[in-house]
Amino acid sequence: MRTVFSYLNRYRAAAIVALALMLIELLIELFQPYIMAKMIDEGIQMRDTEVVFLWGGILLLCSVLAFAVGILSSFYAAHVSQSFGYDLREKLYEKIQSFSFANFNSFPESSLITRLTNDITQLQNTVFMGLRIMLRAPLFIVGSIIMAFVVNPKLALWFAGAIPFLAVFLLLVMKRGEKLFRSVQQKLDRVNAIIQQNLIGMRLIRVFVRMKHERGRFDKSSGELMDRTVAALRLTEMTMPVILLVMNAGIIAVLWFGRVQLDAGSATVGEIVAIVNYATRTVGVFSLVSMIVVNFSRARASSERIEEVLVTDSALADGKASPSSSDIKGGLSFQNVTFRYPDSEEAILSGISFRAIPGETLAIMGATGSGKSSLLQLIPRFYDLTEGAVYVDGLSHNGMKLERLRNSIGYVPQDIVLFSGTVADNIRVGKNDASMDEVMEAARLAQIHETIMRFPNQYDTVIGQMGVNLSGGQKQRLTIARALVRRPVILLLDDCTSALDVRTEAALLEALKAMSCTTLLVTQKVSSTANADRILLLDDGRLLASGTHEEMQRKSGLYMKICLSQSGKAGAAHA
Amino acid sequence: MLKQLRDPFRYEPPESLGRGRGEGKTGKKRPSKAKDTTGTLKRLWRYLAHHRIRMSAVFVMIVLSTVLSLLGPYLAGTAIDQFIEKRNSGFIPFLIGMAVVYGLYACTMWLQNIWMIGVAQETVRAMRQDLFAHLHKLPIPFFAKRQHGELMSRVTNDIENVSSSLNSSFIQLVSSVLLLVGVVGVMLSLSPLLTLLTFMVIPLMVIGMKWITNRTSRLFKEQQRNLGDLNGFVEETLSGQRIIKAFSRETIVIEAFNERNKRIHSSGFWAQAISGFIPKLMNGLNNLSFALIVGVGSLLVIHGHGVTVGTILIFAEFSRQFTRPLNDLANQWNTMLSAMAGAERVFHIIDEPIEAADEQEAIALGTMKGHVAFHNVSFAYQDGHPILHHISFEATPGETIAFVGPTGAGKSTIIGLLCRFYEPSSGLIRMDGRPARSIRRDNLRSHMAFVLQDPFLFEGTIRENIRYGKLDASDEEVEEAAKQANAHSFIMRLKGGYGAKLKPDGGGISQGQKQLIAIARAILADPTILVLDEATSSIDTVTEIKIQEALQRLMKGRTSFVIAHRLNTIQTADRIIVLQDGEVTESGTHDELLLQDGFYSKLVNGQVVLT
Repeated sequence: MRTVFSYLNRYRAAAIVALALMLIELLIELFQPYIMAKMIDEGIQMRDTEVVFLWGGILLLCSVLAFAVGILSSFYAAHVSQSFGYDLREKLYEKIQSFSFANFNSFPESSLITRLTNDITQLQNTVFMGLRIMLRAPLFIVGSIIMAFVVNPKLALWFAGAIPFLAVFLLLVMKRGEKLFRSVQQKLDRVNAIIQQNLIGMRLIRVFVRMKHERGRFDKSSGELMDRTVAALRLTEMTMPVILLVMNAGIIAVLWFGRVQLDAGSATVGEIVAIVNYATRTVGVFSLVSMIVVNFSRARASSERIEEVLVTDSALADGKASPSSSDIKGGLSFQNVTFRYPDSEEAILSGISFRAIPGETLAIMGATGSGKSSLLQLIPRFYDLTEGAVYVDGLSHNGMKLERLRNSIGYVPQDIVLFSGTVADNIRVGKNDASMDEVMEAARLAQIHETIMRFPNQYDTVIGQMGVNLSGGQKQRLTIARALVRRPVILLLDDCTSALDVRTEAALLEALKAMSCTTLLVTQKVSSTANADRILLLDDGRLLASGTHEEMQRKSGLYMKICLSQSGKAGAAHA
Repeated sequence: MLKQLRDPFRYEPPESLGRGRGEGKTGKKRPSKAKDTTGTLKRLWRYLAHHRIRMSAVFVMIVLSTVLSLLGPYLAGTAIDQFIEKRNSGFIPFLIGMAVVYGLYACTMWLQNIWMIGVAQETVRAMRQDLFAHLHKLPIPFFAKRQHGELMSRVTNDIENVSSSLNSSFIQLVSSVLLLVGVVGVMLSLSPLLTLLTFMVIPLMVIGMKWITNRTSRLFKEQQRNLGDLNGFVEETLSGQRIIKAFSRETIVIEAFNERNKRIHSSGFWAQAISGFIPKLMNGLNNLSFALIVGVGSLLVIHGHGVTVGTILIFAEFSRQFTRPLNDLANQWNTMLSAMAGAERVFHIIDEPIEAADEQEAIALGTMKGHVAFHNVSFAYQDGHPILHHISFEATPGETIAFVGPTGAGKSTIIGLLCRFYEPSSGLIRMDGRPARSIRRDNLRSHMAFVLQDPFLFEGTIRENIRYGKLDASDEEVEEAAKQANAHSFIMRLKGGYGAKLKPDGGGISQGQKQLIAIARAILADPTILVLDEATSSIDTVTEIKIQEALQRLMKGRTSFVIAHRLNTIQTADRIIVLQDGEVTESGTHDELLLQDGFYSKLVNGQVVLT
């Protein structure tokens, strides 16, 4: 709570102005009965029209002034709450961008999205409301109590006595409400997650005709969200009837004991009237208090969810070394690397050691689940190693500045990620300031230039999120172009040619050779490994064998088996 | 410090108001906007009307609580007059009566609140579920244009907007109107002249409110649109986090985020500031009418028009009573506008044209033989850019057809047509001799099983993911399918086995393993027609041999369509169709095509050279 609201500090002055303006407005309102009294006493009683005009004019002036002040305060309050929301969103997003993949494990995407939008909106509304009514209500209540005590302390006790009970009650409601609203937000995360999954898996759902099944899943979550919301609101909406009941009981008590005291001579009729009056007015203000309670329980739940993210530190410590780009030649070595995913107990890679000299091409082979993709992901340091070290040009990559390290790497993941935008935008993700020539050159290398030129709008063709309107092969080549446009020193290709036909793939590999960057290529095809300088064969997280194609054929039975299975004859024999 | 105080006046005028001014001059846009609002209101009402009985009960409670709320102060006054000043007897019964009134008041208020919350939340749930159900009816190309997060925002942020105002607006609106009617009645009975005076502020109020709501209704829409935009951006950048990290794009996406953030900041500021004018305007008018009543009233007293000082006092108080419900009404109207902005965005999606409905006389087939034929089928996503030209082929039941061709030749599009994601631009597809259109789409798909390019897995256990192929499959059936797909052994090695939980994107297992699960899913579905779209491509060759065995078994007796890049997969097909630039250039068995010395034989020879 404290951390989140400390973002208000920057707008302290504007917030104070908003509050001050609100008080001025209040004062003007309070001044009105006084002017009215003047008009009656000096105008009507004296039958003086001029005085009536004078005070009438002042009264008009006051209303105009109050109006102007009110408009101003609206500007200030909106400025404070919206800027507060803006800052929070910015900080939160920056924080999320600093997260490592280990952090993402504890915060699901859909939940982060809700926190960034829905939760911050809740806070913003609370701040805006707070600036406009928060002070008003407590001030009014405190003022009424003081006035009641001034009038008659004994009677005032009956009305003021209810207030501590109400305060405790409101606190309890707020505590419980916070918990309930927290679970409302959690259910909202769930709803969000199901929609997201459905949008991603839309085709699959359609072809398996699972719409009803998905609707069932969604309706369940949606129903839970409703139940939680209803429970939270029913609790907080209880405050108003309870306040009314308690305060009105106080009025009855004042009336009863007022008469008793009147009989004893310790109170006057006027005093009773005044205290009853203060009590009824306080009841009216308490409706604002109940609104504050609802908003505050909500805001507390939301602020905690935001804070949870803000106080989480990136699981990756950035290194210091920042070698200049000409110093990075692309030498790469793994020394006894063991790796375990943060939430798993089993090592996915164990005791991996190998070395690649600059410009070398290493092919990585191995069965499904043998740890090939994990090995590639360790190089741009998506995760920290469990044991061992990775060196880039002799420098431990832990000690390098992440940005420096990653800027020298071109990474093509196995699963395709493209962003909505134009084709050129997507290639430029690899190099923000790439010229059109560079973009086209990268596309040519990735064997997609001609395809792009056949698109209706060529490089300006807009593609949907995840490239939904492109074919599998087109998507893959686009992700390759994205990696090539930055002219990487180290190129990581994670089985990214699976949707390409043999001819295109061959042309691509030929083009890559000319780039002379250190290349790690995860592949299943002997046709690709044969052209590599060396082959690493992984099995169950261990490096089973390594060497050139010829060496491997000699020393590895498994490799030989794979080769045989892929030669045309083996295939035909299979039929 | 000084700078801080000037900040609130440095916002760029909002986009929607800039446009608004232009429209104001031509005066063309307004009627349609008003129509939208009433249309949206009507639709909202239709949702609420489902709970007619409870709404009536809420209405009764509001009437009761309004009456009781007026009765309370009246009784307190009477108590002072009758029992304290005059010391009449019967004070205790009177106090008990008061206690009953106060008790009832709290009760009616509580009941109206909890009932209304129920109605509001059920309404919101119905809207949410309608919206979700509609997403499943929209044509597939619709999703190509939309960001996921933007659509998600409609289900969460926009509906939330509707929810928060429905909770309180109805109660406030009704009770305000009731109070207003009561107050006006009392005022008229006291002095019609002064009542008229009080009414004089109404035109000002109408003008003021029009000025404000004209702006806020647009601003709220702009704000929700900007929020949806931001949601879309966040969703996309978070799901593409791997790329953003790999390419060190963090600062760039933060900048892009802040651009959207700024837009929300600015539209949010104007929406909030201008909608904040409403209570101020009401207060101002309140004060104005106060001044008018006191001033004019005083003059009337002086010139002796039968008005007394007492009447002025009462009227001064009543003018307050008169404007307070008006104030509430105005505030609620404003909340309603913001809800309307949300509701409109929800209805906008619900109004999107759905996937072409099945033909009226479309039928459901109990069983299918699996005869599939394309007659002269052409297809274009966009007019003038045809993807497929005059494709014809036929698959008899049990046959395996393999599609071969360069990337982008139209193989995936044929699969899309088979799934009926799209309908042919011209030509005819026949299934078991009937036009495909004459079979219900869902029924047709239920006879097919698919392993699509992206082996999408849901958040959930491995077992649930395989069971997706046949929802009522027993655990044994699931395991049997996994065994056939050679997925069993790796699943058993996972912690938790079949109960192992997958992350939202199917994370935690490798791409190849995902493929195996997708294959198990298809095996479990036991379809008449099988569609494999590059399914075997990222599985290591050793496993692939086993898979091919499983697939051979699976394909036996089923019509199968396969897109694969390994020639040895293709070789086993009954027929190979070579596609180039959207046209069938060759067709026949492996041996026949080799003899033709066309693209296929070059391809095969190409691979031999590469190996």
